Amino acid sequence: MTGWHVDDETLRHYVERTDSMAEGASVEQHLLTCAQCRARVNTAATAVDSTMVDLAAVWDRTRDAVEVPRPSVFERLLRAAGIPAHEARLVAAASAFRGVWLVGVAAVLAFAAVAAMIGHARGLWLFLAVAPVAPCLVVAFSYDRRWDPALEPEMVTPYPALRLILLRTIAVLAVALPAVLLLGLFVPGEAPFAWLLPAVGFVAVVLAASTWVSPLNAAMAVSTVWLLTVWRLAARSASPTAVLQPRTQVAFLVLAAASFATFLVRRRHLHQLRPWR
Amino acid sequence: MTASISLRGVGRTFGATRALADVDLDLEPGVIGLLGPNGAGKTTLLRVLATALPPSQGKVRVLGRDPEVPADRTEIRRRLGYLPQEIGFPRGFTAFGFVDYIALLKEWTQPPARHAEVRRVLDQVGLSSAATKRIRAMSSGQRRRVALAQALLGSPPMLILDEPTTGVDPEQRVTLRAVLAELARTSIVVLSTHQTEDVAALCERVIVLDRGRVRYDGQVTELVRQAAGRVWLADRPDPAATVSWRTGTGRYRNVAAHARDGVEHVEPSLEDAYLLLRGGLPDSRPTEEVAS
Repeated sequence: MTGWHVDDETLRHYVERTDSMAEGASVEQHLLTCAQCRARVNTAATAVDSTMVDLAAVWDRTRDAVEVPRPSVFERLLRAAGIPAHEARLVAAASAFRGVWLVGVAAVLAFAAVAAMIGHARGLWLFLAVAPVAPCLVVAFSYDRRWDPALEPEMVTPYPALRLILLRTIAVLAVALPAVLLLGLFVPGEAPFAWLLPAVGFVAVVLAASTWVSPLNAAMAVSTVWLLTVWRLAARSASPTAVLQPRTQVAFLVLAAASFATFLVRRRHLHQLRPWR
Repeated sequence: MTASISLRGVGRTFGATRALADVDLDLEPGVIGLLGPNGAGKTTLLRVLATALPPSQGKVRVLGRDPEVPADRTEIRRRLGYLPQEIGFPRGFTAFGFVDYIALLKEWTQPPARHAEVRRVLDQVGLSSAATKRIRAMSSGQRRRVALAQALLGSPPMLILDEPTTGVDPEQRVTLRAVLAELARTSIVVLSTHQTEDVAALCERVIVLDRGRVRYDGQVTELVRQAAGRVWLADRPDPAATVSWRTGTGRYRNVAAHARDGVEHVEPSLEDAYLLLRGGLPDSRPTEEVAS
């Protein structure tokens, strides 16, 4: 026996099993002959109870690996975009964000863009008819009760309905607007950003109208009015770009602002079951 | 926060239809059963209590707060577990995934604590071994238990359950009764059901609704006592009975509005008392065959 004892740092590593094999062997060799250090190890091991903690943690991680559902591609994209994990899960849970819906909307937009490229004026009218209403339809699907079967238990949770709807709307716009913008690049004769304001305006109208009627009914009404407008313009005018003149763009901007303000003013109607239920 | 609910003159209309009228109630911790025929207003009352639906008239105070005030409503919802009568599940969800999703909406943002809580409530409803099963592949009883599990998250001081045992097998019903009885030591548990045996087994207090109005509010034992002397067995249906039916022994159980002498009286059940309170079943024939 020497006057040397295991120092506190080495002892902690030994108890927590974070030391190297050589360090561990050295400590154990010393412990064989030093009752004082054995007592210190006992005290430290009791306090840390590292075996139990590790086992519990390992068991929890194992159960999590088995039981916690894997995040969808969309949810992973949201997380990568900086949305906190729990809010990404809440957004991605909406039916509108299932792969089939996103693929469907992308297919419709792609079809319209291809038609615009091939069919010139007629195709451009088709793109004009479809592109601005696609985002508002997906937003409506993302919180319409007919597509949200668990609405009633969701509604009576403390999570703010306004926040959930806005998060889902932003998620839709984050996916749909770049898609519209990208496809707009292939449409001849017009600046691609010209399609954005009508799309944003219609989303805001659906949000505002959904404080009175169901979101999907609102989106269907908006789409119908827009399609009729495009059809009438197509019947009278040779140029589809008439809709996208600066004056019309300003009108869409005003429409978006007014609708969003209405939505915020009437937001308390989002907290309880709609009268149509 | 006071663990009580009070309703004063509460009414609710849907267009020309009056679903609730002049309801006055005070609810304290314990299990309170809500009985009534279809269309009596049970679900509407539970939705009002759960802050899912505002009343058209009257005043509601839940846990000492006013659900009309947004901040109060949020506080109430933090202390509320609610099982609606009809609940759907988003496509592709597992039992764990769905309860975990509702837990997120209930502000359980830390994964370790949330996952532990989800496991606890799934265990309470006997679904630990089915946690990873897709809800679409579950039986109706299992789906009902998943729905109940989300209501139990956080052991809330107020639990509103609309027909919690529908489709649940007898063994699980007994287990769920034990869970609810334990919760009711500190929480207000209001459950609506068509199963009078659930009310008899669980509730000290029962509220009977009919056409939107409270027909009875009091102790279960007192309601049953009112039927004493009015229930008897006979070899055939008794014309004096309000309702009679053939039991599994082949004899007829007769229930009458007035006490009857000279017959073989039996101990009344809550179902007998409930039928008497309602004056028999208006759409039933005088005698009904019941396979029991």
